Amino acid sequence: MSAAAATATAAAQACQAVHLSDWRNLLAVIWDFLSLSLFSLGGGNTLLNEYHHMAVDQYCWLSSRQFADIYAIAEAAPGPSSMIVGLLGMGAAVKEGPAWALLSAVVAEVSILLPSTLLMVVAALSWNRLRNSPWRVAFERGLGPITLGILFSVGLKILRISDHDTPAYAVSLVVCVLMLRTKISPLWFMAVAGAMGALGIVNR
Amino acid sequence: MTTSAAPSRLQLFLGMQQVALSSFGGGLSAWSERIVVEDRHWMSKEEFITGLTVARLFPGPNQINMAVYIGSRFHGLSGALVALLGILLLPFSVLLVLGLSYYYLHETLAVDRVLAGVITASAGMALSMGFKIAGAYTRDPVALLLAGVSFIAMSVFHVRLVPLVLVAGPLAMAWYWPRGERR
Repeated sequence: MSAAAATATAAAQACQAVHLSDWRNLLAVIWDFLSLSLFSLGGGNTLLNEYHHMAVDQYCWLSSRQFADIYAIAEAAPGPSSMIVGLLGMGAAVKEGPAWALLSAVVAEVSILLPSTLLMVVAALSWNRLRNSPWRVAFERGLGPITLGILFSVGLKILRISDHDTPAYAVSLVVCVLMLRTKISPLWFMAVAGAMGALGIVNR
Repeated sequence: MTTSAAPSRLQLFLGMQQVALSSFGGGLSAWSERIVVEDRHWMSKEEFITGLTVARLFPGPNQINMAVYIGSRFHGLSGALVALLGILLLPFSVLLVLGLSYYYLHETLAVDRVLAGVITASAGMALSMGFKIAGAYTRDPVALLLAGVSFIAMSVFHVRLVPLVLVAGPLAMAWYWPRGERR
């Protein structure tokens, strides 16, 4: 059975969201974010497929549709887009009330940032020794192409969960080209696309 | 350009908060340079660029890594945490409010319709991420092969990121290991 079929079967079976107020579930989730932190290559966007897998397939916090929504919100909100982890944490606990939702958001964000931050402190303080190390050169050159492949995979995934008809795909492709060819702020693209949604020009 | 005395932890916190505030609407990296290098003279431009290199190289969101770099240069771990708090506090609070509004209102028809449009734009933005860095690799067939294999492994065979990086990473590093004049 392929992984895709396994995922589909798992989703077809009753997908029960775990309760984070049970501390064992909470610890499992914290551990998942902590261990992903050091794999956030290329500024963290490489992790989006993993976030989707966790939130939609593994823990059933969100539907794919909600995942597409919170990705858009994290992109539109001020600050680094990797703060989407806070929204994932929030979605995981929102059924247990706003206080749990806020706590869970903060815990998720701290978990994803803590390991990479500690490593960054070490890197900042020892950069003069690392700078000319062959490990640094090999890491930079070797992981770059892998990051590239993963980013394409992430782009395709977000495209698939966001767009379901021809006008929607057309808007996405136009935005993609404009992102690459112009310096227009992405907020404009989101505002225009949002208006198109409100007017019923693009639908889910 | 001369750099002034090292900032205190409070100055770091406030400076990073100003970076976060100024960049509401985008351009975090540019604002960071303007405030840290040009306005406050905490670092020279060269030091700042070195910091950006390190921030991009290591795991973690680039702008957050940059704040950590700046903070830790002056006050080690405590400086890093203060800078991190400074750059995250306001944007994260805004995000929490947006998030709560979303989770409690997303079934409202109007909100859902607008979001149905917005996600088409964010999907286009997500798609552009790969193309944005692809230009650096087009002349290196091995790099294109690595990228292609990683893409297929993840998109077709649903390989998870951690095993993918743990297997492909060392192989790629061995291939690109600097060997004098060979490459």
